[in-house]
Amino acid sequence: MVRILLALMVKEVKELVRDPKILLGVVLMPLILFPIIGSAIGVSQESAVRAASSSPIAIYDEDKGEASQRLIGFLEENGTVITLEASSLGEALTELEKGGYPTLLHIPLGYSANITSGRKAMVRIYANLRDLTITETVGAEAAANLINIYSYQASLSRIERLLGEVGATYEAEAVRSPIAIHYSSLVKGSLIEAPPHSIIGLVISQSILLPVLVMVMLMFAIQMAATSIAIEKEQKTFETLMTLPIDRLAILAGKLGGSTVVAILGSIAYMFGFSFYMGSALRFASQTPLPIGEVVLSPSPIGLLLLGCIIFITLVSGLALAISLAIFTDSVRAAQSLVGVVVIPVVVPAIILMFTSLENLPTWFRWILLMVPYTHSIISSKAALLGDYFGAVGGILYISIFTGITLYITSRLFSTERIITSRIGFRRGLRTKSKE
Amino acid sequence: MGIAVEASGLVKNYGGVQALRGCSFKVEEGEVFGLIGPNGAGKTTTLRIVGTLIKPTMGWVKVFGVDTVEGASEVRRMIGYLPEDAGAYPNLSGMEYLRFMAGFYARRSDIEAVVNEGIQISGLGERLGERIKGYSKGMTRRLLLARALMVRPRLAILDDPTAGLDIVHAHHIRVKIKEYVKRGGLTVLLSSHNMLEVEYLCDRVALIDRGIIIEEGGPEELKDRYGAENLEQVFLEATRIG
Ligand SMILES: Nc1ncnc2c1ncn2[C@@H]1O[C@H](COP(=O)(O)OP(=O)(O)OP(=O)(O)O)[C@@H](O)[C@H]1O
Ligand SMILES: [Mg+2]
Repeated sequence: MVRILLALMVKEVKELVRDPKILLGVVLMPLILFPIIGSAIGVSQESAVRAASSSPIAIYDEDKGEASQRLIGFLEENGTVITLEASSLGEALTELEKGGYPTLLHIPLGYSANITSGRKAMVRIYANLRDLTITETVGAEAAANLINIYSYQASLSRIERLLGEVGATYEAEAVRSPIAIHYSSLVKGSLIEAPPHSIIGLVISQSILLPVLVMVMLMFAIQMAATSIAIEKEQKTFETLMTLPIDRLAILAGKLGGSTVVAILGSIAYMFGFSFYMGSALRFASQTPLPIGEVVLSPSPIGLLLLGCIIFITLVSGLALAISLAIFTDSVRAAQSLVGVVVIPVVVPAIILMFTSLENLPTWFRWILLMVPYTHSIISSKAALLGDYFGAVGGILYISIFTGITLYITSRLFSTERIITSRIGFRRGLRTKSKE
Repeated sequence: MGIAVEASGLVKNYGGVQALRGCSFKVEEGEVFGLIGPNGAGKTTTLRIVGTLIKPTMGWVKVFGVDTVEGASEVRRMIGYLPEDAGAYPNLSGMEYLRFMAGFYARRSDIEAVVNEGIQISGLGERLGERIKGYSKGMTRRLLLARALMVRPRLAILDDPTAGLDIVHAHHIRVKIKEYVKRGGLTVLLSSHNMLEVEYLCDRVALIDRGIIIEEGGPEELKDRYGAENLEQVFLEATRIG
C-alpha cells in the first residue's frame, strides 16, 4: 500500500515538475521575476531620489536685495542653482518651461525689506509637472526642504542675537520650540521606541502581503491540480489507472500527495522570491531602521508552526476542491474555465482583506466572508503571526472541517463511475448534435 | 476450456441515452473475441463494463466467474485494459511508464522481468528512453499495448487497438497480440472497426448495433451464413436486417 502510494506520488511529482509550464510557474516566475521586479523598483526609487537631490533649482530673483543674495548663496552651496535673467515672472515661467527645469524659486520684490525689518517674508515655488509623475514632486520638495533649513537656521541665529541683546540665558532651540515629543509604543507587552504610525504601517504592509501570498499560492495549486486531473482524463490515463488492481483512494491520495509536494515547493519558491522582492524594493525605503522587527515581524516558533499548518491545510483543501471539480470535466480547456470560477472565493476574501479588516464590514457581509474557508486562511495566518494562537487554531479547525468534507465527497466521487463518464464541457453538446 | 467472459442482458443508460439495450455474449478462455459495430453502437460501453470501469444499469458480467461489480478488485487483478484512444504521461519516458505500471502488479524482484517483457512487446528499443510526449500515435499505442500485456493478464480488453495507426504500427500490434495468445494463458476481448484485422485476429466475433448483439460466430461461419465474400459485407447485410 505504501509502495503503491509512493509510486503514484513520485509519478505525479515527476509529471508535474517536468512540465515546462509548471516549472515556469514554480521556479522561474517567483525566483527570477520577483527579484527582477524588486530591484527594478529599488533602482527606480534610488534614481528618483538621486535625480531630486541633484535636480537644479531655477531662480528668478525679482528682489535682488542683500537678503535674497544670502538665500541664493546658501542654495548654491547645497545644490545646483540656475539664475534666470528674466525681466518679469511671466518671462521666468516661459524660461522654466523652455529650459525644462523641474523647479522655479521666485523671490518676489520686498523680500529683503521684509527680512531686514523683521516681518515675515515670502517666496514662491513653482513645480514644473511635465510628465505628471511622482518623481516630479521630489524636486519641489527638495527646494522647500533647503529653504526650510535656511529659514530654521536664520530663525535660530536671530533668536540668539535677540537673547544676547536682552541678556537672557535661554537656549535658542528651546525658545523656538519649547516642548519636544518623544513617541514610544507598547506592543503586546514590549516597549518599542518608535511612533505608532510606523509600527502600524509595517503591520499593514504585512497584512497586505499575507493575503497576496496565500492567494497566489492557492490559485497556483488549484490551477495545477485541476490541469493535471484534466490531462489524465483527456489522455485516458485515468481509465487505465482505474482498471489497475489498486485502491481508488490510493489514486486520489497519490494525486493529492504529489500535487501537495509540488505546491509546497512552489510556495517555498514564492516566499524566497517575495522576500528578495521586498528586500530589493525596500532596500532604499527602509533607511531609517525601526527596532520593531523582533516584535512584530518575526513570530514565535509556535506561531510559525501554526502558520505552516494553515498553509498546508489550505493547500490540501484547495487541491481537494480542484480535484473534485476537475473530475467532472473532460478536457484541459473545460477544467481551466472551471478553475476560473473556483478561484473567485479565493480571490475575493484576499482582495477585501487587503484593504480592510473584517471588523469594518457590515455584519451580514462579514458572515458571508467567514463562511468561505479561504478567509480563515488569511485571518488565521495573521493571527498566528501576531500571537493569537487561539484564533489561529480556530481557523485551522474550520478549514480542516471543510477540507474533510471536500475530501470525503471527492473520495466518494472517485469510487463511482462518474469519474469516467461525466462530461462538463463541450463534448456532450457536440456529440449529441453530430448524432442527429 | 472454461468461460472467460460471460455477459448477460447488459443495459446501460447515460442519463437519457440508452447505450446498451440488452447485450449478451460469451467469450471462451484462450480465444480472441471481437466486438464489431458502427460508431456509437456501444462497444466501448461494453468493454468498460467488462473492465470494471462502469456498472451496468441492468444485467451482469462475469470474468472467469467473478462478477465485475461485486468482485471488481478481483477482476482487476486478472485483466489488462487498453482504453480507446488513450495516451500516457507525456513527461515520463516510455521506460519510466512501463516501470511505474509494472510496480502495481509485480513484486519488487519481478519488476525487471515484467518491464523486459514490456520492452519486447513494444519493440520500441532505444526510444523507450525518450519522453512520451515526443512519441507518435503508433508508438504510444505500442507502449500502451505493452503495458496491458506485459503483466500477463488472463484477459486483455483492447478497445480498438489499432484505430488511426499506419500499416506498420498496426501490423506490429496485431502480430504481438497473436503471438501472446498463441503462447497460452491469454484471452482477448477487443473491439474494432477494421474487418481485415478482425478476420486476421479473431476466433469469434459479435456484431453489435445500437446496443444489441445482432450476430455472433466465427468469421468463416458468418460469411457462409450471409453468403458474403468478406466480413464487411456480412456487417452491411446484418446491420440492414437488424
Ligand atoms: N459518458 C457518456 N455520457 C453520455 N452518453 C454517452 C457516454 N458515453 C457514451 N455515450 C453514448 O452511448 C452510446 C454508445 O457509445 P460507445 O462509446 O459505447 O460507442 P462505440 O461503439 O464505442 O463507438 P465508437 O465506435 O465511436 O467508439 C453513444 O450514443 C454515445 O453517445
Ligand atoms: Mg468506442
